[in-house]
Amino acid sequence: MRTKRGLFAVPYVIWLALFVVIPIVIMLVYSLTVEVETATGTELAGSVENFTGMSLYMGVFGRSFWLALVATLICLLIGYPVAYLMSREGPGFQRVAMALIMLPMWMNFLLRTYSWMAILENNGLLNQLFQKIGVIALYNRLTGSDVEYFQMIRTPGAVVLGMVYNYLPFMILPIYTVLTKLDHRLIEAAQDLGANSSTVFRRVILPLSVSGIVSGVTMVFVPSVSTFAISRLLGGGTQMMLGDLIENQFLGGAYNPHLGAAIAMVMMVIVVICMLVMNHFGDGEGEAVML
Amino acid sequence: MKKNRFGGRALIALCFLFLYLPILLLIFFSFNAGGSSAVWRGFSLRWYGELFHNRLVIESVATTLLVSLLATAIATVAGTFAAVGIYSLSKKWRDPILVVNDLPMMNADIVTGVALCLFFVAFFRGWGGIARWLNSWQSLIDFPERLTLGLGTLLIAHVSFNLPYVILNVAPRLRQMDSNLVDAAQDLGCTWIQAFFKVILPEIKPGIVSGALIAFTMSVDDFVISYFTAGSSTQTLAMTIYGMTKKRVTPVVNAVSTLMFLAVMIVLIINNVRSAKQAKIAAKRASMEPVRENPRVVKFREWMATPRGKLTRRVTAAALCAAFLVTVVFLTAFTTSRPVVNVCSWGEYIDESLIDEFEAETGIRVNYQTTDSNETLYSLLELGGADYDVIVPSDYMISQLIEEGRLEELDYSQIPNFELIDPRFRNLPYDPENKYTVPYTWGTVGIIYNAAMVDEEITSWSALYDDKYAGQVLLINNSRDAFGIALKYLGYSMNTTDPNEIREAYELVADANRRGVFQGKVMDEVFQTMEGGNAAFATYYAGDYLSMLENNEDLRFVIPEEGSNWFVDAMCVLKDAPNYDNAMKWINFIASTDANLRNMDTIWYASPNTKALELYPSWYEEQYGEELDPDIYAIMAAPQEVLDRCEMYICLPRNIRKLYNDLWIDLGI
Repeated sequence: MRTKRGLFAVPYVIWLALFVVIPIVIMLVYSLTVEVETATGTELAGSVENFTGMSLYMGVFGRSFWLALVATLICLLIGYPVAYLMSREGPGFQRVAMALIMLPMWMNFLLRTYSWMAILENNGLLNQLFQKIGVIALYNRLTGSDVEYFQMIRTPGAVVLGMVYNYLPFMILPIYTVLTKLDHRLIEAAQDLGANSSTVFRRVILPLSVSGIVSGVTMVFVPSVSTFAISRLLGGGTQMMLGDLIENQFLGGAYNPHLGAAIAMVMMVIVVICMLVMNHFGDGEGEAVML
Repeated sequence: MKKNRFGGRALIALCFLFLYLPILLLIFFSFNAGGSSAVWRGFSLRWYGELFHNRLVIESVATTLLVSLLATAIATVAGTFAAVGIYSLSKKWRDPILVVNDLPMMNADIVTGVALCLFFVAFFRGWGGIARWLNSWQSLIDFPERLTLGLGTLLIAHVSFNLPYVILNVAPRLRQMDSNLVDAAQDLGCTWIQAFFKVILPEIKPGIVSGALIAFTMSVDDFVISYFTAGSSTQTLAMTIYGMTKKRVTPVVNAVSTLMFLAVMIVLIINNVRSAKQAKIAAKRASMEPVRENPRVVKFREWMATPRGKLTRRVTAAALCAAFLVTVVFLTAFTTSRPVVNVCSWGEYIDESLIDEFEAETGIRVNYQTTDSNETLYSLLELGGADYDVIVPSDYMISQLIEEGRLEELDYSQIPNFELIDPRFRNLPYDPENKYTVPYTWGTVGIIYNAAMVDEEITSWSALYDDKYAGQVLLINNSRDAFGIALKYLGYSMNTTDPNEIREAYELVADANRRGVFQGKVMDEVFQTMEGGNAAFATYYAGDYLSMLENNEDLRFVIPEEGSNWFVDAMCVLKDAPNYDNAMKWINFIASTDANLRNMDTIWYASPNTKALELYPSWYEEQYGEELDPDIYAIMAAPQEVLDRCEMYICLPRNIRKLYNDLWIDLGI
């Protein structure tokens, strides 16, 4: 009987092959070819030029991974305590808090990021606030400088802020889910055995929430490293990231899908390796701890 | 303990404040009387009213909802079956399938998007042959030979990234389920299909519901994958907003987002209240207290359990599904049966009432789309992502398109209004015999500066590289313009093909960059930045300067003495355009004097129509009852002596284009 139900999987396997595996194979083919100019026009030729020429973009790779790493760490530092505290509240509070965390996703992320622009501009809300409450005057007196505003937008910090802002819920949700499913008898047992609260946290709660952390880190790091809208809006074109580079090869000024495919390929491999290493630390269970 | 909890709650509250601050700001500005998202001009509901007239926004909201609903429905049904199927396979088969299933979730969105995009493009290239072959031996179905990215590919992409979420939510339920239940059901005489519907389905229902909810949320929120797979003839709300963030996000978007946000919030509140009530009831039941329920609810529930109630429930569900399908079919049929013309232009580059007027006059539906630069347009055409009839590229791009044989010659006998075009704008170098184009607008590039922040009169490009204004200059985010201006400042031609001259220009820009002169690289973001007084200098188009001036009176515009770039944007028709005759009608309509006057008034770019150009000052006086400032008119339509100082871009050879790109990336690092 089992085998009969197994037939349900067949269409999906075909779908996976068609829309997941083959596209990646095509991307690989694209990345291994270049357009060559011939007498009659252009022709495709096999080449690894796309990969060897990538050293030009080392800076972009470095920046992307660095900023994404910083953003992921900040998300973890904010997200874990929030998830932990939430999981200790009453059920009513938890329900409302969960809804409040999901709700922002219904306002388009581009629009929310755009809104940050108005806050961070040189003449923006935050700088105006600083001016009003005298932070800028204080800063000028302390350092002996003469600034009228703090440069916040178009800096790496602004890009990191945008990433943290957009992806923080993806860190909180999985950790929170794991923490709510935690067996409280284990904590009680630890306390009965004489552990104080910090030991309980370190030796019981933290190890048991690793799978949530792994899944949260993945869900923050991957979109951060590949973002292109956030870096464009908040980085003001000065913080070019991998996503910008790839987008530029497909729908932007530097039309070259072969190079774009190669960059995407390299990024994919690095990310998958990172994730494999991460999953090694987790318990290896692939179940998505999303909700 | 109490104190501790208070500190914790304060932290959570702080986190929520961080999450909601920009959203509150967005909602606040949806009630702004002015058009800016940064400057408050008083309370008004104006944008909520305009929402119903803004076709671009309404259509993209409709597309978003349609695609999300369809994709969620398909993915939920297919994903449930797939999950059941996968879980009845042996481990040997199950594990590799689950690994592939995880791929789209592990992969960055951009990789998934790019891979799907390349896949569709490769498929479309091969499809022509297959379609011809299929059509050659059967005449029952006429397969179209040319396919493009659009609603279909968008839907496939959405289903594709939704499926893993559904499966991953259903899977844990399946794992928790006691497999003996199914065996028991079958021992008791169920067929395996019955066992599926009566035993498995009820068990995994919560997983299916949460999977569907996540899939729907992801679909609505998705931008990156849609961006790469929708081509540009179909736009979701996210894509429309992305297009706008480059120029100016109209508060209409704030308004529509506020409405959507509030709708979801209400649903969540109702849901929360209901589940809180249920929890209370459950608690009461557990404590054995009699639960007082509304007798009507009890009666209704009892009735629902009767066979008749069940039947009614099924009929209602079926009717709802049918209604949904009929609406979808009807909408698609309605939008495709009318004659259409597909137009692609730039953002905020037309008086939108002209579109309605053309539709009313001719009965031809205008599918009006926008892209943000010549390069993007070119990429879309190259990828086969677009099925346009009329496009409005700029001069140098036109010559490239002509060179590559992508444009169709126009039938000028169908465009009598071409006669109205000023001879100055005919037979220009990009189209010497004028066989392919009808000019749409023309204009100049110059320095925009904020007189409140600069105490001298600017006459030279040197200001852009001057240490005096460190951190105050916005570099134009486009290699051609940025290096072109540097070339002009150095006294070279903007169209030079001498690599040494280009490198020298690059050095000039790179050096200024190292010294920290540039605050950033911007294209259409320049509007918000300059209007808000956040930078002193920018390089941009005269027409756009005039629309910025409406929001900040301190701004000045100058075409430096070294000269600058002047451009023409012209309407052309793509080779094998599916609606050639409609395209001619559209071009003729837009070339008319009335249309030109109204466009000029809306977008502030100069018209190539002799009469419109001449009449505009008096037309303006008639419309607004005040005289048009001659200085403004001179900026809008630069006098001939200024144009003589300026150069038009011509198409650069391939190797020079590559040099521009490489140098540009070097600069970005």
